[in-house]
Amino acid sequence: MEQAETSLPTLEIEHLSFRYQRREELAIRDISLTVHPGEIVLIAGASGCGKTTLARCINGLNPRSYRGDLQGSIRICGRDIRELKLVEVSQMVGTVLQDPERQILGTKVINEVAFGLENLALPREEVLERVDQAMARLRISDLRGRDTFLLSGGEKQKVAVAGVLAMRPRLLMLDEPLASLDPASARETLDLVRELADEGMAILMIEHRVEDVLSIRPDRILFMDGGEIKYLGPLAGLAGVVDYHAVKLPVAMTMAMAVKDPPPPRISMLPSGQGEKTTLVEFRAVNFGYGDERNVLKDVNLKINRGDVIAVLGANGAGKTTLVKHAIGLLKPSAGDVLVDGKSTHELSIAQVAAMLGYVFQSPSHMLFAPTVRDELSFGPKNLKHPPHEIARDVAEAIRIVHLEGREEDPPLALSFGQQKRVSIASILSMRSRILVMDEPTAGQDYRNFMSFMNAIVQLPNFESILFITHDIDLAVVYANRVLLVNDGRVVRDGSPYEVLQDLDLLVENRLVPTSLLKENLLHYPRTGTFLRAEHLAHAVMLN
Amino acid sequence: MLASWQYRERNSFVQSFDPRAWLIFIAMFIFSAFLFWDMRYLLFFFLTALFFVLRSGVRWKESKRAWLFIGGFILFFSLLTFLTGRGSSEFFTEEHLIREFTAKFSILGWTPTLRVTAEKTAYAISMLLRVFSIAALTILIPYTLNPALYGITFHGLGMPDKFAFAMDLTMRFVPTFARDFQLTMDAQKARGYELEKVEGGLIAQIRKLAPLVVPVTIQAVAGSEDIIDAMDLRAFGVTKRTWIQQLQYRRRDYVLIGFGVLLMLVSISLAMFGLGQYYVPGFLL
Repeated sequence: MEQAETSLPTLEIEHLSFRYQRREELAIRDISLTVHPGEIVLIAGASGCGKTTLARCINGLNPRSYRGDLQGSIRICGRDIRELKLVEVSQMVGTVLQDPERQILGTKVINEVAFGLENLALPREEVLERVDQAMARLRISDLRGRDTFLLSGGEKQKVAVAGVLAMRPRLLMLDEPLASLDPASARETLDLVRELADEGMAILMIEHRVEDVLSIRPDRILFMDGGEIKYLGPLAGLAGVVDYHAVKLPVAMTMAMAVKDPPPPRISMLPSGQGEKTTLVEFRAVNFGYGDERNVLKDVNLKINRGDVIAVLGANGAGKTTLVKHAIGLLKPSAGDVLVDGKSTHELSIAQVAAMLGYVFQSPSHMLFAPTVRDELSFGPKNLKHPPHEIARDVAEAIRIVHLEGREEDPPLALSFGQQKRVSIASILSMRSRILVMDEPTAGQDYRNFMSFMNAIVQLPNFESILFITHDIDLAVVYANRVLLVNDGRVVRDGSPYEVLQDLDLLVENRLVPTSLLKENLLHYPRTGTFLRAEHLAHAVMLN
Repeated sequence: MLASWQYRERNSFVQSFDPRAWLIFIAMFIFSAFLFWDMRYLLFFFLTALFFVLRSGVRWKESKRAWLFIGGFILFFSLLTFLTGRGSSEFFTEEHLIREFTAKFSILGWTPTLRVTAEKTAYAISMLLRVFSIAALTILIPYTLNPALYGITFHGLGMPDKFAFAMDLTMRFVPTFARDFQLTMDAQKARGYELEKVEGGLIAQIRKLAPLVVPVTIQAVAGSEDIIDAMDLRAFGVTKRTWIQQLQYRRRDYVLIGFGVLLMLVSISLAMFGLGQYYVPGFLL
């Protein structure tokens, strides 16, 4: 990439405030920030803190596409953003959106990478040259003629970045780029961002899982809360200002802070799962393939027992979702059998399985439809023909668990994404199934929110077993009592969190990256005999 | 994210043409077929369509669902027209009875009777030939048109950039919609929803489709906002754009277009002379 010709800051923001049209309050207020070429600034904060609004002001979508009132000034490479057209801004500021799925427009990789350059009407030869350079830069030249639709999550992310880099921006802005990636793909993206910064590009990275981004050594961290800057400076200074419940910090930092607070209450997991370990779901030599393709699941044998809290870990495309969809009968094995409560899913309708096993899909937007939250939550139990007085009781209970009291009459579709996700979970809770299955329950949630509802769910009295799919090793460390490691359609390891996660080489082989919380837990395991969350670990090991 | 149709490189006769030539030909073919009601003329169109289908390299296995769905639809409506005699009455006033079937019961004094007449039969056959010819080539479009070339194809047909890209997105909206629909269907099934058990009157039935229709619609709207942002962020529509793909007409494309033009000119001339209109073959009378 080109070095900046001058020593001008790439981005200068002074006293920036923004208020969306038809909103009373400011979305962000009095933001000042200067970013120089080669600098990485990490923007952290909980959902609704104003990160996205800030990003949209910088890339020009606010107020051009999202109308509102912008006060203060933004200068990009010395030029006032107000005097620039969006097309000019888009050549200086490259934006990688949260979900590459939402950014990719081209059918083939090459079309996607070329899209911006085509729009700038550069000569065809130059477009092709720059496209080849950008792809070589990201080491994805071999993807050139592939269908974007069929790429893995990590590949999609790189293609999206290539499409932005081809336009040779001075400032690269990434909005939670890791959210949909498995840890190894996330690590590759981060390494790349570091390289780009080293070559002189200014980087703004928005991410609330601070710990996950530290490997790129951000120069400064900007912490936002309620639309304002609460902290701007090096990582070390963050400890004094930020709430460790709101942002995921490296474990050492969290522990140092948590040890000064009173210990949080212990969580009693799965109160209904105690006692006899009866088998609830059984996979017998399950094989599955879509059409002509090679098998996605290969000879899976598995028992889900009463009392199990299972984390299913694995890379993108490992077969986790396919495996779990078999448990509810949405997919039926091509060979072998899945037994739910002793009966084969071949002989059960999905509705029959649903009475036993509740399945929360990854994206709430695929299921929410009702005019009110209450109706949404009543839908499942009504389908299962529960009596009305039970429905009323169970719906009220589910609303309480996900902290949506007072929202009963609101339309679910008008809620924030985090709230919608909680409605989607509650709509399964109200069915009072015996087993709860969740696909990426924490995706798109900020740290505080997902820790809070995961805490509530594992303590619920209705479930005899819980199973969740995740990329997040820490979720397995904190909540699971059993871990399934899935790779290439096979269960490669099945055991207690300690048994599976202590083998760090195994994790790396399976495209997972050990976290600081895991390492800290392994270090103290001889003393604690169990995995603990950072707060508990702090009190267990730092006080004595 | 937008999904794609099941296009693949087939190395077939049909896919050897420039996509523009192929679309132009299909348009002219369909226009011409619409001019006729005579089953002898329509048989020609039917055979031509069949030729292209067989030379498309599209296998039965991959396109089975499209053929069965659209084929079933056409058969159903042709049969309905045949049984009721509606829709065809503008073509004939007099009917020649071939056979009459009378039910052995009557409802409120009305005895269901099926009068198979030469005119209705001829109409039904013509209708089938006509609609199948048109549908067959239309079904081929998604399988034989490279999605990577949608934009440049429409651009090459003379549409402005914005229009051409809009067409590109629209073409891909259909499979995307299908994918979202499937995901929503699965999510609602997991909540005990059973489409087969939707019952009640028409209004009640439509209301009970809300769990499918609402999420899919919302997805489509939200998805289109994402698309607009992604386009804005990469300077779409500010100037006349470059298209990196290039299309080149070759001799065979001119031949195909020439054939289409000829077909259309001959068809128009015949139609102007009143030829090829509704016809009942002698052996039916």
